[in-house]
Order: sequence, then structure tokens, then C-alpha cells
Amino acid sequence: MSSSTLTPPGGAAPAGQEAHTARERGRVLPFPVTGQEIVLLVVVAALWVALALATPAFLTRGSIVPLLVAMAPVALIGIGMTVVIITGGIDVSVAGIVMVCAVVVARAMVGSGISLPVAVVLSVAIGGVLGLVNGVLIAYGRVHAIIITFGTANLFEFLGLRLFGGTTVDNIPGTLAFFGRGEAGRTLGIPHSFLIMLLIAAAAWYYLRHTPGGRHMYAIGGDADAARLAGVKVQRRVVSAYVLTGLLTGLAACFVIARGTSTLAPNVGAGIELAAIAAVVIGGTSIMGGRGSVLGTVLGALLVQTVTSGVTQLGWRSQLSALFIGIFILIAVGADLLRQRTRRTT
Amino acid sequence: MSTAVSPEAPAPAPRPDDGSAPSESRLRQLPALLLRGLLTQRIVLLLVLLAAVVVTFLTLSARNYLSAPYDAGYLSVTLISAVPLVMLGLAELLVITSGRGGIDLSVGAIVSLTSMVFGFAYGEWGWPLWSAIVLAAAFGGLCGAVNGFLIAYIGYPALITTLATYYAFSSLAIVINDQQPISTRPIQEFFSAARSVPVGGGEDPLQIPLGILTFLLPTAVVVWLLLNRTTYGRRLYAIGTNDVAAEWTGIDVRRTRFTAYVAAGVISGLVAVVTVAQFASARPDAGVTGSGMALPAITIAVLGGVAITGGIGRVAGVVLATLLVVWLNAGILLAVPGNAGSQYQLLALGVVLIAAALLNGLANRRYGRTG
Repeated sequence: MSSSTLTPPGGAAPAGQEAHTARERGRVLPFPVTGQEIVLLVVVAALWVALALATPAFLTRGSIVPLLVAMAPVALIGIGMTVVIITGGIDVSVAGIVMVCAVVVARAMVGSGISLPVAVVLSVAIGGVLGLVNGVLIAYGRVHAIIITFGTANLFEFLGLRLFGGTTVDNIPGTLAFFGRGEAGRTLGIPHSFLIMLLIAAAAWYYLRHTPGGRHMYAIGGDADAARLAGVKVQRRVVSAYVLTGLLTGLAACFVIARGTSTLAPNVGAGIELAAIAAVVIGGTSIMGGRGSVLGTVLGALLVQTVTSGVTQLGWRSQLSALFIGIFILIAVGADLLRQRTRRTT
Repeated sequence: MSTAVSPEAPAPAPRPDDGSAPSESRLRQLPALLLRGLLTQRIVLLLVLLAAVVVTFLTLSARNYLSAPYDAGYLSVTLISAVPLVMLGLAELLVITSGRGGIDLSVGAIVSLTSMVFGFAYGEWGWPLWSAIVLAAAFGGLCGAVNGFLIAYIGYPALITTLATYYAFSSLAIVINDQQPISTRPIQEFFSAARSVPVGGGEDPLQIPLGILTFLLPTAVVVWLLLNRTTYGRRLYAIGTNDVAAEWTGIDVRRTRFTAYVAAGVISGLVAVVTVAQFASARPDAGVTGSGMALPAITIAVLGGVAITGGIGRVAGVVLATLLVVWLNAGILLAVPGNAGSQYQLLALGVVLIAAALLNGLANRRYGRTG
């Protein structure tokens, strides 16, 4: 499968050859947008129209900007989680990574007043190291990812709680306002965190779809043994998937600090791993590995956040949003199952 | 265990020795045999770890390093926290053993929702205790049936289904009574079900939590009988090991898997009754506060030697793993005072789980797949 993607595009190639490769590529790769993603887009659009009709306040800047700022970290973690799930794994320790990164960065900002780039680099680096721990244990320990990440989730949470030391971190300076929901966090009215997430999503989409490394992720998820026999360095690729998730989670931790108040409580990040997995699954990525896309994950995160904001703005109990998210997960996975079954029978 | 005495490993080359050769080579193999037993027999490993933990803390206690004595009395009182852990661990045992990625993330949410239902029946509508307990078990079974139907009959992946029902059930539990706990008089008096009772004679009998006798032991015995003495148990192991082969031998794979999820739901319903008694209140977030009840239960099951791929798992492993975790946690609480104690419990749980999982992988590679 990698024969076409591995062919160097090379500008010197004759025109006929060029067209041949392009045609071949079009056959090997699925259509850029899957059916599930189109349906998701329609569902999100329908929800937005319905919410706009129900509460006029929904389609205002005061409502949309917080929605986009709130969805950015979930979508960002979801991008990494998509790659991990495509390889057939899962990472339930991201909430612990968010916690460790957030408390270290917040303490550094309060204690030594570090600048914005230093804070981001620090957070991303810590996230990468924690992701590396996951990746090495999973790839070289040859243990199922869910068990290892349950274990490291406990370890990271322990680390985070020790760093918090039983109190909250107070008086956090506004260094990260660039990612926040305030005036400093927007360009042309669009929040920076959302834009950065979109850029990373586009890069990840290209990586997964058009580079050998990305195709290898799908191959590993489809059949790890076959991938190894075909020459894929399975263990190294798996480690890189978890490191990528760690790096993105580190950046997401900066977004999480920025969207909050000047106080950071020890419950930061709680539940974000399930929200990210929900976004990935609603986006049509198969939990069995080998199938999925980043575009779907971003739409899934948007759907989850729309439901959450919508429920609050309609004046319903905010906990009802969890019920709707659960139902959406079941519908999304059910639609995927149905499509697979019809494809197999036809 | 005794079967391990006949190793299939490359037998030592026959030595031109005198008559004492067999016993001597047997003796020389002893360390290797012990290592093999430790690595492949999870029960043996857990027993050794359990003994190590208890002896360590007894020694620390004897030298006054701990804030309170770590003795038989303390050990038996701390068993109260083992009741929900063992029961949910057994629920996960049934579900994970059923194979095809079987797992149940929703047990904590079922506990929350069933707590509220039990609270309504016993605390508000004035049902008699036994019928309220039956209702809780039946309702838990109904929640499990939702999972089981979607997973076994429609073919949803278990991880995703139970993630979705985790969201749905925990949301319903909070909304059903407007976020308020139920703690009317009958519920408060139900706290007596969580008291300790003296067991054994003498002037200083051990205080055993009542929940051990009324809930934990019956559940453990029933699950053990189900797995080891009924055809259902053999079918469950069969579909977990290879569900295509099981299908071809005429087993109703779907129904067997469905029943495993229903049983997990019933057990979760009973755990709800236990938690209502412990809190003296039916709390809408009983099973999902903090890291919830599902993750510790899965951890216990994996530590107890349940293979995440299905088909392997024993009741004794789950019980021993719980004892290990509970008594380790109890010791940590005495050794590390204050808030830090509960944090070091997280560290201990994480390290033990990862070490056990890595050891499992090592044993599988060295000796092949074993229980």
C-alpha cells in the first residue's frame, strides 16, 4: 500500500508518469471526506440552527468564542488520541498529563514569571516526556495499552497531586492570555487556541494521509504483525504515537490554564480523557484501530462542546449534557457499524 | 501448582552420575521451578506479595514507625473498603473473561444510578428492605442488559458502549433527584448494615465488617460456583478464548456474552446497596467521584491475573489482589500521615499494576500463555 505514497513526487518526472501516480494515489486513498464526517457536519449545523432559533443569545460572540476556546484543548488531545487509536491503542492517562503540565507551568509562572514561549515549551516538553513513558512501556513491554495507561494515569495523578501539595495555585499572571477567551486571545474575532488547533489538525491530517509514517500508523492498527513483516518499525512508530499525544496534551494544558481563572485547582483536567475519546469515536475512528481521521475528531469535539454549551444555554441541568453525549456516541458508532455491515454484504 | 514439576523446557542433558542423580537434578531445578511458579501462577505471586506487604508493615509497626498499630484488628476493620472492590472486580472478571475486548467502564455509573433507585424505594416509598434489595439487583441487571444487548447482539465495541452508558447513567443519576442525595430516616438507620460484628470466641474477638458476610462472601461463592461448577462457566471461558470456535461447537455466543454483562450489572446493583449503607445516604455521585469505581475495579481484575484478551481469570486472583491493595493502602495510611497518604496510595496502585502487567508479558514470552 505504501508503494504509491513512497514514490517521490520529483518535479523531473514526465507528465504521463505524474498523472499515473496521481491516479494511483486516488485509488489507494479513500475520498478525503468520509460519509460519517458529512453527516457530523450536517448534525452540528442542524444543532447550531436549532439552538440559534431556541435561544437568540447562542449565535453571539459572547457564546461562540467561549465554545471554541473550550473545545480547543479537547480537540487537540483528540488529534493525538486519534493517532493512538488508529494504531490500535488507547491512552487514558492524558488527564494526568494535563494535570502535571498545568501545575508545573502555573507554578513556574507564579514563582519565576516565565514568558509565554518558555511556558509553552516547558509544558510541551513535560507532556512529551510523560508520553514517552507511556509509549516505551506499551511498545517494548508488549502489554495492552489500556492497562499501562491505567497504571500511568495513577502515577501521573500522584505526581500532579504532590506538585499541588494539597492547595490550589493562586494569582496566576496573565502570561497565557494569548490563548484565552479575552480580547488578547483573538485575531479578527477568532480565538488563537482554536486557530492553532486547526493548524495542527491540518498538519496531522496531511501526515496521516500523505506520508509513509502516517500510512504506517494505519498499517499497524490494521494488523501489527503484517506491518512488521512489511518492514514497518512497529515499536518505534507506536512510541512516536504516544509521544505525539503527550506533546499535544502539553500544549492543551496551556490552553486549559488560559481558559480558566487565575486559580488552578487540583481537579484540573479531570474527565478530559473520556471527552477526548468521545470526540474521536463520534468522529468515526474505529476503536479497533486501522481506520479513522483527524477531521472527524475535530467535528466530534465541536459536537460535544456544542451539546454542552447548548444544554446550559437552554437552561437545562448541565449534567444532562453527559446523557446526550452518551447517546451521540451510541448513534455514531451504530451508524459506523451499519455502514460496515452493508459494505460487507454488497 | 504441582503440575509444574514436569517442565517441558529443554531437559538437562543426562549426566553420567551415580544413583542420586534424579533427586540432585530436581534440587538443582528448584530455583528455576520457583521462578516459573512465581511468573506463571498469579495466585502464587499474589500470595508472596501479600505476605511481603503484611510482614513489612508488621515489622514497621513493631518498631513504632507507624502512627497506629498495624495488627489483626486494624486489618480486619479496613476490610470494609474491600467489599465494593472485590464485588466490582468480580463483575469485571465476568465481563473481561467473555472476550472480544470485553470491559465495563459503566459499573461506577450503574452504582450511582442504582443507589438512587434503592434510595427511592427504601427511603421514600417505604418498601421493605428485602424487596428494595431485590429491586436494586434487578435494576442493576437492567442497566447491564442495556450494555449486553448493544455489545453481544448488535456488535458494538465494549469499551465504547460502556463509555457511552457511563455518561448516560451518571447523568441520569444526578438529574433523577435534582442533584440531591436521599438520606431519610430508614436510609440513615441502614448504616447499621455497615457495622462490624465480632467473629470468633475468646475475650478479644476480631471485628469483621458485616458487609463481608452479607454481601462479599455470598457474591464470591456464587461467582466461583458459576465459573467452576456450571456449564455456563465453561461456555464463558470458551467464548473468551475463541468465540469462533465456540460458535462452531454450538454455544450460543451472543447469549453467553449478554448474560455476563447482565451479571456484572446485578453485582453493581448490590454494590449500590453496600455503598448506601456505608455513606448512610443514597448519593447521586456515589460511584463516579474522583477516579470513579470502574478504574479501580478493572485494575484489581488485571492485577488478579484476568487476561484483558479474555478467557483467563480466577475468583481467587481477584480476591487476593483486593486484599493486597486494601492492606497495602491501609499500611500506607499509617506510614504517611495526612493528605499525602491517599496520594501515595495512587503511586502504589500504579506501580503494582504496571509491574504485574509487565511481569505477565514476560511470563507469556518465556513460558507461553498461561493462567
